[in-house]
Formats: sequence, C-alpha cells, structure tokens
Amino acid sequence: MSAGSLVARRNTLARALLYAVLLTFAVIYLMPLYVMLVTSFKPLEEIHQGNMLALPQDWTFAPWREAWGSACIGLECSGVHGYFFNSIKIVVPAVLISGLLGAFNGYVLTKWRFRGHKIVFGLILFSCFIPFQIILLPMARVLGILHIANSTTGLVLVHIVYGIGFTTLFFRNFYASFPDELVRAAKLDGAGFFTIFFRILLPASIPIIVVTIIWQFTNVWNDFLFGVSFTSGDSAPITVALNNLVNSSTGVKAYNVNMAAAMVAAVPTLIVYILAGKYFLRGLMSGSVKG
Amino acid sequence: MSFLHINNIHKRFGETHVLKGIDIAIEKGDFLVLVGPSGCGKSTLLNMIAGLDDISEGDLLLDGERINDLHPSRRDIAMVFQSYALYPSMTVAGNIGFGLEMRKVPKAERREAVRRAAELLQIENLLDRKPGQLSGGQRQRVAMGRALVREPQLFLFDEPLSNLDAKLRVDMRTEIKQLHQRLGTTIVYVTHDQIEAMTLASRIAVMRGGELQQLGTPQAVYDDPNNLFVAGFMGSPSMNLVNARITRDAGVLVARIESPSGDVTLPIVRDRAALETWCDRDVILGLRPEAITDPSSANRQDGEIHEAELEVELVEPTGADLYVVTRLGGRGINARMRPGAPLESGQRARFAFDVSRMVAFDPESEDRIRDVEKASAEMPAAALDVS
Repeated sequence: MSAGSLVARRNTLARALLYAVLLTFAVIYLMPLYVMLVTSFKPLEEIHQGNMLALPQDWTFAPWREAWGSACIGLECSGVHGYFFNSIKIVVPAVLISGLLGAFNGYVLTKWRFRGHKIVFGLILFSCFIPFQIILLPMARVLGILHIANSTTGLVLVHIVYGIGFTTLFFRNFYASFPDELVRAAKLDGAGFFTIFFRILLPASIPIIVVTIIWQFTNVWNDFLFGVSFTSGDSAPITVALNNLVNSSTGVKAYNVNMAAAMVAAVPTLIVYILAGKYFLRGLMSGSVKG
Repeated sequence: MSFLHINNIHKRFGETHVLKGIDIAIEKGDFLVLVGPSGCGKSTLLNMIAGLDDISEGDLLLDGERINDLHPSRRDIAMVFQSYALYPSMTVAGNIGFGLEMRKVPKAERREAVRRAAELLQIENLLDRKPGQLSGGQRQRVAMGRALVREPQLFLFDEPLSNLDAKLRVDMRTEIKQLHQRLGTTIVYVTHDQIEAMTLASRIAVMRGGELQQLGTPQAVYDDPNNLFVAGFMGSPSMNLVNARITRDAGVLVARIESPSGDVTLPIVRDRAALETWCDRDVILGLRPEAITDPSSANRQDGEIHEAELEVELVEPTGADLYVVTRLGGRGINARMRPGAPLESGQRARFAFDVSRMVAFDPESEDRIRDVEKASAEMPAAALDVS
C-alpha cells in the first residue's frame, strides 16, 4: 500500500469521527425542539401515555388553534394572537428606530468627527454593559412621567434606548473601515450631510444592517424582563403572555397547547435567522476588521 | 494676474506645522505637478485647494477670487482620488452623473453629459456596470469621467496612477497628457513619482518637509536645481553628487575631485562668478549620468567636453544604454555610455565630462551656488507677481 493512500485513509477516518461528533451534538441541541414540536401535534391523552419522543399517532392541529385563538391567559380566553401582534408592534419600530439611530451615530462618529468623539463613543459603548435589572426602577419612573407606562409605546422606547449602544457599536465599526475618500468625493460632488448618508453610506451597509436587524429583533422579541415589568394585561408582549398562559392553566396541564404557544413565540426569530443568517457572520466579520 | 494663486499658505495640525508658507502661481491651461517624498505636504496642499482641509494661514485665489472659505462643492473644482472613490452602490453612469444630479441638472441634459464624458474616455459600454465589476484601469477612467463631466475650472489629481500596474500606469499617463492637451484644462496633480512629474507637467513644484524647494518647468528643475534635494530627487538614475575642491590651476578656476586612479580636474564654466568666491573651499558637484559619456558619444556641439581616464567598477547594460559605475570623490558615480561600448569592470577607460552641465552646491546649507543674475531669473513666478 502506498503512503499516499494510507494518508487518505487516515483522513477519511478523522473526517468520519468529526461528523459523528457533530451529529451527536446536533441531535442533543435539536432534541428539545423535537419534543416541543411532536408534543404540540399530539392530543392530550397521547401525552399522558408518557412517551415523550414518540411521533404523534393521531396528528392534530387543535392545540395550535387553541393556543392561537382560545387558550385562557388569566381571565381572558382568546389565545396568544393579540400578544403576538403586541410583540410585532413593539419589535418593528424598536428595531427600525434603534437601527437608524445607531447608523447615524456610527456615521457621525467616523465621518464627521468632532472634539471628544472618542469619549462620546465610549459612553455609548458603556451602555452595552449596564445590566437590565439596574435600570428597571428609573425606567419605570421615566415611563410614568411620559405617561406611556403599561403600553407597547413605552416598551418601544425602552428597547430603543437599550439598543442604541449595540447598534452604534456595530455601525461605527463598520463605517470605520468605510473609505473616507468616498465621503470627500461626495462633498466635492455637492452632496450634503444627509445625502451622503442616505445615498452613499447606507446602500453600502447591507451586511451590517442585517446584523443589526437580527441582533435587535432577537433581543427585543425575546425580552421578558422589560415586558413583565412595564406592561400588564392587554399590552404585554408574547413572552409575558406565554408565561401567563403556562401559569394560568387550571386543573390538567395542557402541555400540547403550551408547546404550540411556545412555538408561536419562537417562530419569528427563527424565520429572521433563516432568511438573513448567512449575512450574519459575514457582517459581524466585516465590522470587526477595523475598530 | 495668475489663474490659480497659492499665496503664503500655511497648515498646522495642532502643534505640527505641515505647510510652511507655500507660494505657487500658475496660468490657465497649466499642468502643475506637486512632487515630493511622502509626508512633504503635497496631498495636504491639494486637499486645501479642494476645500477638504482648512487653510490655517494665507490666501487661495482662483481666477482672482479668494476661495479660502468657499465650500468644496462651490469652488468649481473636481478631483480624482487615489483610491478612485467610486460610489459602490451606484452604476458607472450614476457615479459620473452624481455631481450633476446634486447640482440639479435636468435628467436629459445629465444623461447627455454623462454620455459625452463616457465617449471621451471610451467607457460607453460600461455605463450600466457597478464599480465592483470593473478593472483597475476602468475604475480610473470612471473616476476621471466623474471629474470631467462637470467641466470645472480646475482639476485636481491625487496620485491617480499609484494603484495601477506598471504598464497600465504608463498608458494612462499618456492618456492624461493627451486629455490635457485636447481639453486645455488647468490641472494640479500630486505624485511622488518624479518620472510622472517630468512627463506630465508644464510646471513642477518640488516639495519637502512642508516647504517649496523649487518651482519651474520640468527642464529647468532638471537642469538647474535649486538645491541638493531637488538635484537628487529628480531624475532616474539620479544625479551624481561628488565632493570636490574649487582651486585655481594655471589661472583657470577648476574643481578637483579625488579618485583612486588619480585626481580629476574639471574646469568651471557654469556659475563661474559665484564659484570664484568658493576658491580653495569644498563644494558638492552635481553631474547627470548623461553628462558623463564615452568620448565618441559626447555632445561636442552644445556642451563643453573634458576627458579623464578612470577605472571602470561595474557595467550595467539596460538595453537602450550602458550604465558604467566608476569611483570619484569617494563615491560610485553613474555614467551613461552608448550600448555596446567595449567596457569591462576593472578596466581603465576614458570618460567624457560635459562640464557645461555641471552644478555646484554648498555642502553646509545644501543650496545651489549660482551666479546672481541667473538666480533672480529662476525665482518662482509668485515672488515676481507683485500686483
């Protein structure tokens, strides 16, 4: 046997081992999702038989319908759909506004430098490291003064304020490697502050826009603490509703309905990842080359 | 009144004094090349003309109007950047037309102007492409098209050829020169490449350390350098600079240069009046390689030839010429001989020096030693322009 084929065989073996390890981890990570999915499609009797991993014998969409439209959350029995739209109402403006503000900050901090720009950036960056819990009381007070406590608008404000630190960081690092000569050329061409931003920089920022959207969307959508602290009843986001749904089951636990509701709560972030995921790493890399 | 007048311009970045009083004046249609080593302030000066950097002190006049505080977009100036600076998300047509769009030129008129500029640069077939799909040379053309389309009063080029490969650079150089001749525009061009400066310029400004060293036509800068720096910077291979002593030999003023094969004495014919005062003192002599030849190819009509026998140290054929290195005044010097001259290293050979082209420098100040009448005629135009 030649040395070449020996090496080739050893490589195949190493590769097989690698795939085996990867496959094992994939199975471990996917297991909870699998259990959630199969449980959500089983009737309650089947669940009580005990075999969590078994596929449903009797496929049913009833738990999904119930979770969406008629499950009881507290005293209200109309499912999670209202809270789902609450979350949409929060997440869309919060992501767009914090993203746009972050982009503006990044643009100014790199292309229109002013005295003390480093300190300003440092302070903005500092906000990334403030734990959620610390701002709960002051923020509740601010929302009260602004008369937007217990509303989705209030949550939008909270998420914008909290998100600006991260979005600014992303865009600043991205624009730091954006050539200054382009801005200078545009100035000579007669473009002003906003024209340069909207016509030259923003169209060239797709990778970092995607990163920002994924990051902000996941954070805002998955937020529970702010939601549970600053809203109650009708204006709660879906994460809070999910918690309430699980807690307000009386008598028999409707595991299938709970699982279906949890899936409903998880699907939007999954969709965002699937649609934009391939840009995510690329964008993070491009932002991190220069800082 | 000159067209572009840079009047005693200073630039300070905090404590650092980047430009220390630059005076340059050029006429309409001139091709001014700012040349110098990196960090000499040439790009800063260009950015100040464009309005991208503030002027700390001094006046900038374009066609008689002071434009120090005019916004870049209102100076009627276009610039070609080193990196081309094409807008990545716009098509070539969008890039070229952007300046006109910002100036609210109607769409039809704009399209026509873009088409004309593209035609001039032979990039009509690229108008719908994005910059990412273009080669270096094509990007260069688009960048020039963006400047041309606005028909500005003044063009600025910031090392536009430095990102191209060697062959393309020579082609584009020719093309820029042709374009300048055809359109008769006024150009300020920054480069660190002295060959680019020589071939393109109608006026060269040699800069070093934020100071203007010399302003003049390429030939004047080449033949009649103001100081050691200019002499050494312009020309390739560079000017031979050797230590020599001015003495009198049988009543004739000569320069005596040491060499392993015996001292060489060359008669002083240029700047003789000034060098009289340097008798029995050391100077640095400058002689271009092409002013040291083999006796048979020496220019005896215009020059004044003086021969000497020296030892050949090294022979470097380039095809078109044969460069011969010999030792003089303690340094290796380059002589340009005719190709195929029968020379070998170690051999003794006769060298013909054209002493009419020899220049001398003060070893202390590094300034040129030249006759007074001559000096005043070579002063920068700006200094004479007292109006």
